[in-house]
Amino acid sequence: MTEQTAQERALAEVIVSCLDMEDVTAAEIDPEAPLFDEGLGLDSIDALEIALAISQEYGVQMQAEDDAVRDAFASLRSLNTFVVSNKAA
Amino acid sequence: MAMLASSRLINTCEFLAHVRRLADQLPAQRYALNLCGNRYHFLVTFCAVIVRGQTNLLPANRGIAVQQQLCDRYPGSYVLHDGCDVANGINTFEIIDLADYFAGTMAATGESPQIPLHHIAAIAFTSGSTGQPKPVEKSWQTFCESSLINARHMLADAVATQHLLATVPGQHMWGLETSILLPLFADICSSAGQPLFPKDVQTALQQLPAPRVLVSSPVHLRALAHSGLQYPPVERILSATAPLDAALATQVERLFDGRLVEIYGSSESGSMAYRHTAEHQQWTLFDGMQLEQRDNTSFVHASHLPGAVELQDTLLDHGNRQMTLRGRQTDMINVAGKRGSLQELNRVLLSAANVIDGVVFRRADAATASARGDRLAALVVAEQADAQTLNVHFRRHVDAAFVPRPIYFVNTLPREENGKLPLNNVLEAFERVRRQPTGRLSRRNDER
Repeated sequence: MTEQTAQERALAEVIVSCLDMEDVTAAEIDPEAPLFDEGLGLDSIDALEIALAISQEYGVQMQAEDDAVRDAFASLRSLNTFVVSNKAA
Repeated sequence: MAMLASSRLINTCEFLAHVRRLADQLPAQRYALNLCGNRYHFLVTFCAVIVRGQTNLLPANRGIAVQQQLCDRYPGSYVLHDGCDVANGINTFEIIDLADYFAGTMAATGESPQIPLHHIAAIAFTSGSTGQPKPVEKSWQTFCESSLINARHMLADAVATQHLLATVPGQHMWGLETSILLPLFADICSSAGQPLFPKDVQTALQQLPAPRVLVSSPVHLRALAHSGLQYPPVERILSATAPLDAALATQVERLFDGRLVEIYGSSESGSMAYRHTAEHQQWTLFDGMQLEQRDNTSFVHASHLPGAVELQDTLLDHGNRQMTLRGRQTDMINVAGKRGSLQELNRVLLSAANVIDGVVFRRADAATASARGDRLAALVVAEQADAQTLNVHFRRHVDAAFVPRPIYFVNTLPREENGKLPLNNVLEAFERVRRQPTGRLSRRNDER
């Protein structure tokens, strides 16, 4: 597993807390592993919960029709890159 | 009837031409396992299958194992899809882009096809208490009559064309009755979209003219209510699949400046009752529906249903078409509006390689108080503890929402001497393992 950056750790904390994931800690999420399907095994309702937490925490709205968002959900790292680049300055 | 697909309006004549063209091209087989994801593709294929005299099979999920099971169970099946993973060795028919493919090819007669009323238009599958998916046959007559009743109750007093957006899929009974069947029988223009995130719902609603109808579920409505976004007015918001609380209903009504009507129903009965959740706790039965109680089990009768339909909830009949929900059969679970059976999940768990013993159960802790519904967890005794493999195994057989989380590996299950596994023992063992940091998945191999 590659190392998480501080921003990635903060986002991982948001994910773990909004999904109430007790068998995984934020530190254990591999930033490059898939979040869905074979990775953490999240589903579309989890995506909805994560999107909601991100909008509340970072003020960034996710939109699935946008290909960038679809790609963003690939891993913790890509999600963090998306959030950072869309966050209001 | 009309459909808005890829920002293009498809009228009735064009739709009928698509259905006819496609019906002619379908393979000469009896059952179409209809997995089309795009709502317009699903609408056209669903109708084409019926017009061709075939039957739509509508599984609760698209897992590879589920496809194989259904094709074995219904000889003469093929998979009808618009781009999803398909099990090997099954006949398939793939839709690429219907609207483009058929553009300009329509003979615009607008004449409706004749469909025999007794024809079995679709077989839906629900989680049965037997642990095997239970087939629910739907005749064309059931769809015709129930859609007229649904239109009367769901669109009461509507005068103009209603523009409908659904956040739920067309394959499942709630989305099927509303986004697919209602437009065939009422003055509705349905959007082909299936927005998930609040921002998507906002964009899709902005693209629809008023008056608007939003078909959704508590888990989606909760996300919309907490998004901090503004939405165009929606006159009618329809919610089903899981109970909605009055506070959220009131919040949603303010957000959309409309009226939220909650619908009660099941795959077996279809929609059968409604309530204005912000003001009433009691449900009002739809016209033509009658309740019957036999011991602790509730049944519903209607002229368009094949007989007494057993319900998975226990209902209390107050007379005068009023009823309340009293509980549900203990085997049934509801996660994010999807119904499942604990017995079925346990059967799936025990069929996994290396699993010696195990139990999937409904968590009893405070975390269950979310719009997501039930939270599931599992205790597993396995030769090689590997949550990842178990996760993949579950996903091949059941909807991702039903994959238990967390999965804890233990040395033995807290069975009694006679082999029974009381729920209390399971919950106690679960609390014990949760409190031990060494019980965590990632460290569990060292411990064993």
